[in-house]
Amino acid sequence: MIYVIEDDKIMAKCIARAIKSPVKIFSNAIDAMNEIINGVMPNLIFLDILLDGPDGFTFLNELVSYSDTAKIPVVVVSSLDLREKDLSSYGVVGVLNKDTMTPEEIKKYVRNYA
Amino acid sequence: MESEVDGILVAAHELKAPLAVLRQLALSFDEMNSTNEEIRNEMIAVSDRAIKQVNDLIKIRRLKDGLFEMEPVAVRAVCDDVTRELNHLFIFNKRDLFIKYSNRSKLVTANKDLLHSVVYNFLLNAMHYSGENTRAELIVKEYSGRVKIIVRDYGPALPMDVWREMKRGWISKPTSIAMRPGSSGLGLYIASKFSNFMHAEVGAVRHRDGTSFFVNLPISRQASLF
Repeated sequence: MIYVIEDDKIMAKCIARAIKSPVKIFSNAIDAMNEIINGVMPNLIFLDILLDGPDGFTFLNELVSYSDTAKIPVVVVSSLDLREKDLSSYGVVGVLNKDTMTPEEIKKYVRNYA
Repeated sequence: MESEVDGILVAAHELKAPLAVLRQLALSFDEMNSTNEEIRNEMIAVSDRAIKQVNDLIKIRRLKDGLFEMEPVAVRAVCDDVTRELNHLFIFNKRDLFIKYSNRSKLVTANKDLLHSVVYNFLLNAMHYSGENTRAELIVKEYSGRVKIIVRDYGPALPMDVWREMKRGWISKPTSIAMRPGSSGLGLYIASKFSNFMHAEVGAVRHRDGTSFFVNLPISRQASLF
């Protein structure tokens, strides 16, 4: 299962269309974290940063603070330009810019990590 | 000058978001999991929202040009127009819209075009911040000799900085709300600017389970034909 955490519903659907594997969409970080706490571990997470409520970085901090969830690969999808930032300590395996990303790039992460 | 630059940054930030979505939708045509019709409808909805915001920004620059005269406006008709316009977005985002009119005076002194934008932006904000399968409320009532339009959402509480600015009666510049997650700060800024131009009182009430935005409009003395 792949999680997409994105508060823009249409953008979330675009990402889900490209993934083509089983996907669960969350519009906020709390719902996604609750699902993980309940034991539903995703193989890969596509994460927006500017979210309603706790933002993407808060979610990443929470994720790396537990040994089991710290291993979940995360692809950050944001309109902020974060490509130069080293987010590997957060378990981030890639950064996609919403302005320039393509379905092929999304698929590449699915192939490599899911 | 600083405020103007901040405003441009906020506008750029918010208008970039629908463009990025449109780009993804165009790329989605190759992913045949969904029908072309569905993608087409999504593209229209996103474009409509962006065009409306650009038009509102143009109006802000033209407020001083005397293009927006104050006139008797049928407040329920304006609210009906807006809710009709936004109905498909509420359905698409799985939000309910509850409407209640209890105002006896049907006409207010306002500018129809600007009032439409105020209600539109309040409702769009409420839709954005309400959770899935929750409702937003549009209530029109009379209060202290004025007509009060209230838009209530059941989302996260309004950040204190925005509430303080709304309490002062206006948002002077959209900087403080620019980086709100999934920001609809531009919409609130536009609503605030237009309300002030119409000499309407604008504000927000924080609830434990959401926020109410309101605008108080003077009742028009002209006899109502509605």
